[in-house]
Amino acid sequence: MDDYQTCPKCKTTKYRNPAMVLMVNACGHALCESCVELLFAKGSGACPECKCPLRRNNFRVQLFEDPAVDKEVDIRKRILKEFNKRQEDFPTLREYNDYLEEVETIIFNLVFDIDPTNTNKMIDNYKKENKDITQKNRNRQSQEEMELEELLEAEKAQQSEKANLYVNAELEEKKQKHKAREKLIDELMFSDADAKSIVASHVQATAALAKEQPKAAAQPSSGVVKSSKFSSGIQIGLRGQHTNSFLPIPKQEDLPLYRYTAPVFDYDGPPPPPIEKLGKLNYFANIRAANIAERAGGYTEAMSCCRALQEALGGLFYSPQLTHKTAVLATNSSTQDTDDMETT
Amino acid sequence: MKLNVDGLLVYFPYDYIYPEQFSYMLELKRALDAKGHCLLEMPSGTGKTTTLLSLIVAYMKAHPLDLTKLVYCSRTVPEIEKVMEELRKLMNYYEKEMGMEQNILGLALSSRKNLCINPSVSKEREGKVVDGRCYSLTASFVRARHAADDAVPICEFYEGFDAHGKEFPLPPGVYNLDDLKEYGQMKRWCPYFLARHTITHANIVVYSYHYLLDPKIAEVVSKEISKTSVVVFDEAHNIDNVCIDSMSVKITKRLLDKCSNSITILETTISNMKENDSKRLEKEYKRLVEGLRDATIARETDMALVNPVLPSEILEEAVPGTIRTAEHFVAFLKRVVEYIKTRLRVQHVVQESPAGFLRDIHTKVCIDRKPLRFSAERLASLIRTLEISDLTDFSPLVTVSHFATLVSTYTKGFTIIIEPFEDRAPTVSNPILYFSCLDSSIAIKPVFNRFQTVVITSGTLSPLDMYPKILDFHPVIMTSFTMTLARPCILPMIVSKGNDQVAMSSRYETREDTAVIRNYGNLLVEVAAAVPDGIVCFFTSYLYLETIVSSWYDQGIIDQLQRHKLLFIETQDAAETSLALINYIKACDNGRGAVLLSVARGKVSEGIDFDHHLGRAVLMFGIPYVYTQSRILRARLEYLRDQFQIKENDFLTFDAMRHAAQCLGRCMRGKTDYGIMILADKRFSRADKRSKLPKWIQEHLKDTNCNLSTEECVQICKRWLRQMAQPFSREDQLGISLLTLEQLQSEEMQKKIQQRAQGV
Repeated sequence: MDDYQTCPKCKTTKYRNPAMVLMVNACGHALCESCVELLFAKGSGACPECKCPLRRNNFRVQLFEDPAVDKEVDIRKRILKEFNKRQEDFPTLREYNDYLEEVETIIFNLVFDIDPTNTNKMIDNYKKENKDITQKNRNRQSQEEMELEELLEAEKAQQSEKANLYVNAELEEKKQKHKAREKLIDELMFSDADAKSIVASHVQATAALAKEQPKAAAQPSSGVVKSSKFSSGIQIGLRGQHTNSFLPIPKQEDLPLYRYTAPVFDYDGPPPPPIEKLGKLNYFANIRAANIAERAGGYTEAMSCCRALQEALGGLFYSPQLTHKTAVLATNSSTQDTDDMETT
Repeated sequence: MKLNVDGLLVYFPYDYIYPEQFSYMLELKRALDAKGHCLLEMPSGTGKTTTLLSLIVAYMKAHPLDLTKLVYCSRTVPEIEKVMEELRKLMNYYEKEMGMEQNILGLALSSRKNLCINPSVSKEREGKVVDGRCYSLTASFVRARHAADDAVPICEFYEGFDAHGKEFPLPPGVYNLDDLKEYGQMKRWCPYFLARHTITHANIVVYSYHYLLDPKIAEVVSKEISKTSVVVFDEAHNIDNVCIDSMSVKITKRLLDKCSNSITILETTISNMKENDSKRLEKEYKRLVEGLRDATIARETDMALVNPVLPSEILEEAVPGTIRTAEHFVAFLKRVVEYIKTRLRVQHVVQESPAGFLRDIHTKVCIDRKPLRFSAERLASLIRTLEISDLTDFSPLVTVSHFATLVSTYTKGFTIIIEPFEDRAPTVSNPILYFSCLDSSIAIKPVFNRFQTVVITSGTLSPLDMYPKILDFHPVIMTSFTMTLARPCILPMIVSKGNDQVAMSSRYETREDTAVIRNYGNLLVEVAAAVPDGIVCFFTSYLYLETIVSSWYDQGIIDQLQRHKLLFIETQDAAETSLALINYIKACDNGRGAVLLSVARGKVSEGIDFDHHLGRAVLMFGIPYVYTQSRILRARLEYLRDQFQIKENDFLTFDAMRHAAQCLGRCMRGKTDYGIMILADKRFSRADKRSKLPKWIQEHLKDTNCNLSTEECVQICKRWLRQMAQPFSREDQLGISLLTLEQLQSEEMQKKIQQRAQGV
């Protein structure tokens, strides 16, 4: 909106000349600064719009968008300097309100130039009649103003106090931490106790401190908290105050420990000879012995021989009628051996 | 079925009940017995509404003197309709069981926009316009004019109601908005005024939060509700923000320019009236001199403008002399508006207290505190006297008068912030004055004081202990219920790193990191390949969503994603978003599968359900903190710290986690539903964040699922989905998460329920 401000005299706009400043005088008509300098070079002159005589020193920077408001505020300030009775000066609220309306009418008349002679007479009359009260009230603040002042004052005090408090708390915390660390290092350096136990006790101490801290912080608020019980046993107030977070993290269920059980194989055949006895039983006669390179890798001819035997014998007893269970029973005696074989 | 809840006979309109519903009833009954307030959290999809209604109706029937009325506050019109449906089911069941008509009257109330049946008015779309048009047809002076001159249009429906409707109360029954309209059509009565008139003697009233929390509306609508009522705030996880919004004012440059226009209109109207009909102005003046309250207030249709402050704060005395005559008042308004204009001309941000503002306005334009306090009331009176029938043009001026009244009434708990430009566009001058309420307890305090029981409930209220602090009340009951489930139908997981072991986080420092963005993209692509049907993703802000999508585009992730599913994006434009939603639903329905990218705190995250195939997985990319640099938020945090000893970080985390929980809860809408919830941020696994999730989610969040990489996450998803795809029938649930009457009464179950009630 500032861009649309125009000087009525020279038609400069704020857009074309960003440095332009509009000024107003008592009549409420605006002029730009350079026009004022040009027209009022002598110190006084007539307003180009309403031709009323003006003085140059009375020009002020226009504060409001509407110059009429500037004029009104100007008049208002002047009038209120005289008409400064307070509510305390009147016996009833009604009379005070009547007085306020009268003041308002006077200002309104002055602003819009209604009945100037009568209005001025009214002002003069008032001035004569209420000289002492005006004088007295000039140095006295109204109750309302005082209230506001007090509020502002309190606000300021509170703010600085709060700021101090938080800064102090932060500093304190830092100091504590630093102290604790130094203490730990000292202990580690000079004490004979086990380092682990020292560290552990340090961790405990800091945890305890951390717990205490929020309690201390919450102290000022505890004035409002009421915790008691209804006759029905229902608690009033905040539940679970003692715990900081309302919901504990759910606990993992304890599963039973893992235990090893030997697997059971369905072998369905006569037990093959154990791997250690293969050499004695002369099974190696017809197979190639392992060469040096193969032996280096942990391979022996017994392995392939054993596997071939297992393959040959396994499943010999299988018959479709035989139930699964009996097969297990039949081979139960050999499970121990087969186990060994699988693991080798 | 009929239940025995702690000695109270409760009719429950279904054949089966969830165990947590029974526990909920137990707790609620205790609160009603104690005549205290309570805070109850129960997951969405477990039938909160029907549980609440059936217990409270049963209580009203058993103790007709202790409890006379139920006021049920919900957020949106569809939610209000849902409540009415449940209530109808309950009343039908009562009738069937007891074999006679029930003497209970339940009705829904909404704005004129939703209730008007006048053909010329109801075709308007905007709520404010409908209100204004209604006022122009029903205001008492318009009707008086009509009596003299038949050419002046009036509303025949209101006339019908005024002539006959008041003597004949609404017959007992359940009336939702459509029923009211139908009834109004039949009788030719205005349904809106009929509903407002009926509120005083209805047993159950269902309406929006604002009718109780916003002083501007509450004074008009909810004035005559008796103390022996129970008030329920459903979906109340955002209640503190509603309270704050109802007491805050925002003034922009444009609004002030409009104000200047309306002031000119006022001036011309006054001078016209002075010439033609000065009697009325004199009458008004005399009344103000006498300090009489408005005599015409009794006329309900004239209450278009009311005082924005709480009833207890309104000054009960005569209007001060400075603004008694109409011209003086208009000049006064002009000065106020011009003053605010000068304040908006600042170059840097200003923050000051109401007291500072009052002092400044006194020194600059000589305005005292008292006339400011009366400005809203005086403006209402003036507009009524001038018989201005079109109120819509005056709403800016009304806003300013509300601001003047509020700023001079409350010196504590409020702040004034003037920002010359937005943070994001510092070169564009766009001055805004925020008069912001910092204390959510101010607006809700009268509600807590006035009614014997206030129930605050939602699916996500964790951590519960925050709400009593910020709303400043003492609940007698504060409980969170979990969901009993026959199978693990939610799978919450925290994914903290990508396959390349780079940590995923939306922290400010790493949010622009391409590795993080790529990891987010890969996670989405792999999940999209493994999960059938719909997937919903939530980002922390629109800005973040846009930057991520653009870099995904460069990285080719969008192409990979579109191989598996269609892609839809929520935007700030409401129409665009609803179109995207419709197409998303279509894609999910026909089996193509779709991904919806949306924003936490956006429209999608609040109030749109993705049940069953519409949302098989929800991904939360980052923690949805509010924009912490906002000055209003800073001021509020400071106030909370000073007044309620709530640390800034605690509140921010609380706020972020409640929104995250809201987003996650979108995919679970019942016990037969199932969904994956992926929290993709490293910080979620910290105890302070994790412990703030609702209990029903926490219960399923195993320690082993708290620090997963993308690959591990997808493996778990696959296994779990296979498990969930098995057929699932009601028989599987019976006895565990669904009970018949016999099962409920069995000793074992009673013991379990007792334990549950004590455990929390």
